Amino acid sequence: MTEEAASIDLEVLRYRPGEQARLENFSVVVAAGAKVLDALDTIWATQDHSLMFRRACHHSSCGACAMRINGRERLACITAMADAAQEHHPIRVEPLHNLPVVGDLVVDVAGFFARMTASDLVITRTAEPELPVSVDRLPPPLRLRQVVVAEDLGRFTRFESCIECGICVSVCPSMAADDGFLGPAALAGIHRTREATRDPMESAHLLALADGDGGVWRCHSSFECTASCPQAVDPAGRIMSLRGQIVSRRWGRLWRR
Amino acid sequence: MAEEMASGRRRPTRWLDLRGRHEGAWAYALNRLTGIGLVAYLYVHLGVLSLLAHGPSTWNSFLATSKAPFFTALDALVLLGVLFHSLNGIRLGLTGVGAAVRWHQLLLRSLMALAVVLFLVAGLLWSIRG
Amino acid sequence: MSAPHVVVIGAGSTGSATAHDLALRGLRVTVVERGEVASGTSGRNHCLLHSGGRYCVTDQESARECIAEARILDRIMPDILERNGGLFVALNEPDLAFKDRFMEGCEVCGIPAREIPIQTALKMEPFLNPAALAAVEVPDGVFEPFHFCLAFLATAKANGAVVRTYTEVMELVTEGRTVTGVRVRDYRSGVSATIGADIVVNAAGPWAGKIAAMAALAVPVTPTPGVMVTMDCRLNNMVLNRLNRPSDGDIIVPQRATSIIGTTSWVVEDPDRIPIPPQHVAQMLASGQELVPAVGQVRVRATVAVARPLVTKAKADSRDVSRTFECFDHSADGLEGLVTISGGKTTSSRAMAQRAADVVCSKLAVPAPCTTQATPLVSYRSFYR
Repeated sequence: MTEEAASIDLEVLRYRPGEQARLENFSVVVAAGAKVLDALDTIWATQDHSLMFRRACHHSSCGACAMRINGRERLACITAMADAAQEHHPIRVEPLHNLPVVGDLVVDVAGFFARMTASDLVITRTAEPELPVSVDRLPPPLRLRQVVVAEDLGRFTRFESCIECGICVSVCPSMAADDGFLGPAALAGIHRTREATRDPMESAHLLALADGDGGVWRCHSSFECTASCPQAVDPAGRIMSLRGQIVSRRWGRLWRR
Repeated sequence: MAEEMASGRRRPTRWLDLRGRHEGAWAYALNRLTGIGLVAYLYVHLGVLSLLAHGPSTWNSFLATSKAPFFTALDALVLLGVLFHSLNGIRLGLTGVGAAVRWHQLLLRSLMALAVVLFLVAGLLWSIRG
Repeated sequence: MSAPHVVVIGAGSTGSATAHDLALRGLRVTVVERGEVASGTSGRNHCLLHSGGRYCVTDQESARECIAEARILDRIMPDILERNGGLFVALNEPDLAFKDRFMEGCEVCGIPAREIPIQTALKMEPFLNPAALAAVEVPDGVFEPFHFCLAFLATAKANGAVVRTYTEVMELVTEGRTVTGVRVRDYRSGVSATIGADIVVNAAGPWAGKIAAMAALAVPVTPTPGVMVTMDCRLNNMVLNRLNRPSDGDIIVPQRATSIIGTTSWVVEDPDRIPIPPQHVAQMLASGQELVPAVGQVRVRATVAVARPLVTKAKADSRDVSRTFECFDHSADGLEGLVTISGGKTTSSRAMAQRAADVVCSKLAVPAPCTTQATPLVSYRSFYR
């Protein structure tokens, strides 16, 4: 550990189905610059192997470590302990909302992934013809530069921005009330798939799904999904864009009658 | 709480908990509350109007009580609610069909500013008329 | 008579691919993992689907294995790979002098390598150091390790495998000199139980030694972490490698909206306690800036370190340790029913699994051949069904 190691307290929600949920206090010594996920790893390794939490990549690529930290949905792997402790000490760590809790911080994502499957979202997409790609605003003085690839090679590819972390689902008031709603991630996925697909039948099918029972009309514009998304997917914007597409299609049909 | 966690059963009232939430969620909550408030007001209003059926003296005595500061305060509240709900409604109507979504925060702030201005104008007019 | 039952310890890339191979061969498989899928070494790897160019001069066995496996992975999981190729870039005279050996090495190992004009390279990679002298293109690729493991496990589950996460092996159960199962604690329920097995496969990565020690055995696996630094922006589309012998911080792997600079190498005692040396982070940023000067203008998103499971031979510098894998059938140590598969890198997971599954099937007298080279994987999303 570095000399700047500090001892920080966390209150972590402990829960098993059938038991009473409770907050458990942990103290950890973490290096300067440590993230909340590092603290959870340390607690697991040195204090309690029964602490359940999802994690894999530790650098915001896999979406596994989404949870509520001090009441706000975030990725634990890129949330600094120092920042979280400054917001509130002890740092409160709880699982996402709107998904069944399997144990402690682990939620059951089966329903979430079923909805993502329905959106047909393929996680590789054509890359933008510029670099850099970033989910945050570009730091000055960095500016976009064109990428030139030989014509026969086409454009580069990259993984979709959406890491399927579930944060948007956790913050969504409609998901909190409504089992049938597809949800912001899946609807954003539908929007992305329609942007990328060349199959008109798939495109029409997905628009019908968006227009259907669990679709875009169950969104009531809290925009919290877009505000909370760590990957700048903008689910709210995409939901509204789908609505615009649906409305103009209906309007067009009305006029053609 | 334990039951709810296991089943993932939804909490339809969670929108009231605005800790950690952003502007859009505040507008959402206020829109719902003003909406409920205005519906409640509508019933009150109809109830009041039904006093008309009870003759001029009933109506006049009601009008007298309606000048009390308590009532004026309630009226002001109703006005605030109407202003917020209708102006935010414009924002929702626009964004809800995909228009101006990127500027929904700017829209919210400017429409709220307009609401404040209109409220102050109303207050001014009221104080002039006495 | 039901098929033999194999318990696989570890749901990282090795365990996931092994479970998939065994399930395809008709065996009953249970995977036990003490955390989430890929929560150990695999989740935090560099995400590089090696073309093998990196090893084509210094470790040609590795190089050949990489290009073969990269092609197979491209066939069986095309939808979850970024396939933009890679560049080996010469930044100075020594690099340039290495080029001929590099090209020759690629030729010998069957890696399609093509020198491209440096101006073309700079157009394709506008943030590449403008002082670069030469560039060679190779078929590197990029994957996301969580999805990588989920895809193998989802396919294994579709073929009947059971995956139990948050389930930690506490003991190896033995009867005489035969391993007959594992004793696990399932953290979901808090209940301890014994899972019987005809064979136990120890695919616990850098913790393989810990598992083997439960049967008083030693395996020559050395936890060898490396630091990776993930930047806030994706500054390159292709993998950028330094054209020279492998050294620290000579690769920048782009992924999604980030660029990951790596890596270093040092040995630790306990793979669960890896403090990140700040000088390694500084070194990554410095060497990253040599390839891509704009690295200096971008914020660091995360720094990550996790232990590689290196199979040791008697060598001083950990970077020289072979990165090919080893499969240990512990009947050679007098213990039946236990096989350890370790070493390697994620790119060669499928090949590691093939070897492990071959050993398992041979021990169980199951004549099924490996079919993973040609079996497309199902969607990673269906793991969570």
